[in-house]
Amino acid sequence: MAEDKNKQIPDWKRDFPIDQEESTHVSRREFAKFLGLFSGALALGNGAIVLNSWAFPEKDLEGEHFICDENEVPVGGMKQFEIRGTKEIPYILIHLEEGEWRAFEQKCTHLACAVRYRADIQQIECPCHKGYFDPRTGVVIQGPPPRPLPQLEVKVADGKVYVKSFKDTPYTS
Amino acid sequence: MSDFRSSQNEAHPNKSNTLMTGIILILILVISIQVWFLYSALNNALDDNFDIAVATFLGSLVLALVSFWILRYLPDPRQPKVKKSTYNAYRPTQKSS
Repeated sequence: MAEDKNKQIPDWKRDFPIDQEESTHVSRREFAKFLGLFSGALALGNGAIVLNSWAFPEKDLEGEHFICDENEVPVGGMKQFEIRGTKEIPYILIHLEEGEWRAFEQKCTHLACAVRYRADIQQIECPCHKGYFDPRTGVVIQGPPPRPLPQLEVKVADGKVYVKSFKDTPYTS
Repeated sequence: MSDFRSSQNEAHPNKSNTLMTGIILILILVISIQVWFLYSALNNALDDNFDIAVATFLGSLVLALVSFWILRYLPDPRQPKVKKSTYNAYRPTQKSS
């Protein structure tokens, strides 16, 4: 009888006598080991952030860049511009009041949606998740963005608008 | 004859179960803190705050080492029960002399 049964079992099955149920079963022990592995991966990821910010620090914008003539942007208006450097960063230039200009990165600090200035509520709005920023300082007023908008210093000379990176602290009011 | 270990196991049959649940809960807690660290590091690195990135990396590394170390205390795996009939069926039959 035993010999008959042995003949019915194919060779491959005789070499691997493991039940399918056993082979697909994930024990709690294996799950705990996987959690340990995941923990190590998170530490590595954190190390990668440190390495990246140490090896490739953000470079400040160098020099002054001409954007447009002063009369191109009316009071309460906004102009979008780009500066080509190591990478292309979109910015917005805002004409708040007569003689008062601001320039911010256009990428929302939440998920990099394009922000826009709304003159009717005098705030910079991110339309994706309703984040609002102060148009004078770039500070977050409301919504999910975790950081203020990075800003550039604006200079107006002879009716022309220029931007450059801040040597000191940005506008705080 | 029963020794100390087997008596303990008989007196507390759920010991391995509790230990395993405890270890998994600690690991989940450790991972949650690490995810929080990673999120903070990413946000602060984007804001040129290098010190936070270093501090969270060191914290995350220590937590990872803790989670590796705690795996030492995982209960031993259950010994697979060998089904006699199946086991014998897969074994080549021995000819009795």
